[in-house]
Amino acid sequence: MSEFVLTVNGSHHTVAVDDDTPLVWILRDTLSLTGTKFGCGVGVCGSCTVLENGKAIRSCQIPAREANGRSFVTIEGLSRDGSHPCQRAWLAEDVAQCGFCQPGMILTACGLLRDHPDPTDEIIDAVMSDSVCRCGTYPRMRKAIKRAAGAMRAQTP
Amino acid sequence: MITSRRAFLKTAALGGASLVIGFNRFRLAGAAESTAGGSFKPSGWIRIAADGTVSLTIGKSEMGQGVRTSLAMLLAEELEADWSRIKLVQASPGPGFEDIGTGGSDSIRDGWKTLRQAGAAAREMLTAAAASRWGVEHNSCRAAQGKIIHSASDRHLDYGALVNDAAKLPVPDRPVLKSAGDYKIIGRPTARLDGPDIVTGKARYGIDVKVPGMLSASLERPPWAGAKPKSMREEAARAIPGVRSVVKISRGIAVVADTTWASIKGRTALALAWDDPPPNAFDSGAHAIRLKAASREAGFVTRKEVAPPGTGAITKRIEATYQYPFYAHAPVETMNCVADVRENHCTIWAPTQAPNRLQKQVAQLLGLAPDQVDVNVTLIGGGFGRRLAVDYALEAAEISRAAKAPVQLLWSRPDDMKHGHFQAASVHYLSAGFDANGAPVAWKHTKAGSFHNISALEPGEVRDAAWYQDWSWGAYDVPYAFPGIETAYVAVDLPVLHGPWRAVFAPSSVFAREAFIDEVAHVGGIDPLIFRLDMLKGPDTLKVGRTTIDRRRLRRVLEVVRDKSGWGAPVAPHHGRGIACNAYFGHTYIAYVVDVAIDHEGNPRVERVVAAVDCGLVVNPVGVEQQVEGGVIWGISSALKGEITFRGGTAEQGTYGDFGVARMCDTPAIEVHIVNGDGPEPFGMGEPPVPPIVPAIANAVFAATGQRIRRLPIRLSNPRLS
Repeated sequence: MSEFVLTVNGSHHTVAVDDDTPLVWILRDTLSLTGTKFGCGVGVCGSCTVLENGKAIRSCQIPAREANGRSFVTIEGLSRDGSHPCQRAWLAEDVAQCGFCQPGMILTACGLLRDHPDPTDEIIDAVMSDSVCRCGTYPRMRKAIKRAAGAMRAQTP
Repeated sequence: MITSRRAFLKTAALGGASLVIGFNRFRLAGAAESTAGGSFKPSGWIRIAADGTVSLTIGKSEMGQGVRTSLAMLLAEELEADWSRIKLVQASPGPGFEDIGTGGSDSIRDGWKTLRQAGAAAREMLTAAAASRWGVEHNSCRAAQGKIIHSASDRHLDYGALVNDAAKLPVPDRPVLKSAGDYKIIGRPTARLDGPDIVTGKARYGIDVKVPGMLSASLERPPWAGAKPKSMREEAARAIPGVRSVVKISRGIAVVADTTWASIKGRTALALAWDDPPPNAFDSGAHAIRLKAASREAGFVTRKEVAPPGTGAITKRIEATYQYPFYAHAPVETMNCVADVRENHCTIWAPTQAPNRLQKQVAQLLGLAPDQVDVNVTLIGGGFGRRLAVDYALEAAEISRAAKAPVQLLWSRPDDMKHGHFQAASVHYLSAGFDANGAPVAWKHTKAGSFHNISALEPGEVRDAAWYQDWSWGAYDVPYAFPGIETAYVAVDLPVLHGPWRAVFAPSSVFAREAFIDEVAHVGGIDPLIFRLDMLKGPDTLKVGRTTIDRRRLRRVLEVVRDKSGWGAPVAPHHGRGIACNAYFGHTYIAYVVDVAIDHEGNPRVERVVAAVDCGLVVNPVGVEQQVEGGVIWGISSALKGEITFRGGTAEQGTYGDFGVARMCDTPAIEVHIVNGDGPEPFGMGEPPVPPIVPAIANAVFAATGQRIRRLPIRLSNPRLS
């Protein structure tokens, strides 16, 4: 058990956990930020995705000792009120079914849009295909990503 | 959030502070009757509070099918409610609050009558209360947007201001329902009520439950039925910081810890080795051989129609055997449950489709009465039938009892994949007979499969024709008008857990039927879509067993996909177009046209799907489209991705890597055309999109390659050489 300092959604936290504790369990169990989901624990489903400097990363693959000193954004911190262009686009396109994978999908899309402000279908396929939605919301997700991209480009002068 | 009959009575007893109307499938009841010691058992109720908020308490579980939004729409329509002030409360089971499970695509049919009646009754009571307060004629008032309005005097009152008076009025027996032309909410594309919670991470699933003092558990289960531990390092597990105990329960050895991670580490440290499986342990390859042999037995005949006199004698016969594998449900939220077992009481928080079964079985396990077990139903991160079984709740209860603390049991992904209640494998033998003119005159379909074993058979259950038919939807209710028809079911024992999956038993039968009907069309050189339409002539209504199929509706969805898809247009080399259709239990009718392309490695890819759907009256068009899209993706997974295989009694797959599911890159363009969306009543949509998509894909792959697809998932041999 050691102490680690990390920043989540702009707040600094000191947590006492084993140094191999994956970030997903620090977020969920220690900080009670349950918007980040556990789905597989081995980095193949994308449910636990969070952002670091705008880049989408798998929180189940980051042990505490590596998370130390770093800063992350979870779905709870993506916007104050659900107003991030991705969140709005997700609602506008009625993407969610069961909704369980959607926080990870939204944050994966945020990472995608940071690197590709006007993504093609091929880029969307390449980036989003690392994540699993068993309800099959992919068609609407694709539309939502394009809608969010348009909204974000319109915001950027 | 305990909302049993007790809670209803408590809610009803609040009386004057609100207007409460309970409902079940037979009638409505108000607060006064409910609290007078009557025997009324509600299946849900509405409560309009003094602040005008409308709460709908209902037992249907939300698992992505959008059911709670569409049920609220039914209520709001008749109540003339303000949509922004409707809240949903999840009901929990109780002795007086039975049968609140979710499955079989039944929710919208169940709610159609009861919720509109409850809404209309409340509206009439509120209108009467307002009219009496103003001293005006009842029929000079109207309801809109959560208010009663008297236009003549330009007065209006919010529902909240009227609940006191309205609650004193009798509940009308037969409130007048709107005619369809007056609907304002039903049929309007409506966003999910819980959408904002989902995109902000506030939605709480089973895995997100936290209760004070809760410990975490991870359970090591026997890999094959009857396996015994050979060795384990209990001390090593206990030495992991945070591990509290190692407990033995009937289904394995659990590590209980302060945190999820400590329980996972403790389980790894336990290094439990199980003894080797016996040589006769379950093997899916050997099982497939047994099924194949069984498919040639006579079986239990579920339908027999002898060709009428004058039918041409059979001069030619074709036959084929279709093999259907095991599949996992693989919802992204793995099985989990929080149980808090105390003396004479237990509280459960579970993502379940079957709260009543869960309550009964947990009570039985703990030696409690059902009403000593409170069941809280959470949001469900994917159900698909898996959560009709309650195994994970029984495990959690046993662990909590042993650990003497509230415990959250979380299954790992491999736990979930290897210990599922799988969609059972089956083998289908089909044959067709043709007369001397080449006309198809006989159809035979024998399904060899296994009944699900999520719970023991009810004592006294009679295995009659209706019972066997229930297990072979899609086979016995073949809609095509062959003069001679024989369908049969051969039950084959299956020692691994298996249960209902999305679309229950229909997917395997509809795959075999719709793929073989293409073969029959091919023999005569007839276009498979035209052939289907030809074979759906004859009487418009087909009654078989408990199912009534309206052939006009099935023909109509075929005609719509034919017209919308450009069915006859040429396709590029290495591309193919396929068709399939189904009438789901005679309720929801769907036809698909699928275009596939075969890539350079010989892998089929679905490029486009055109769907025509007749699910009767459409309550929420968004929900219908979502379910078709999701059903298509589900079908792409089972047609082209992973299967479950068993060796040594154990499922060989354990992740989304070895049990593949469709992903974004596998997603085709999907067009949904709603047909007859203004029908007299609605039918379910969660399951019906699944069965016909796989055969449509298989038929398209045949069109592209000339290879008949008779087993799943589709694995082509030298596809581009054909």
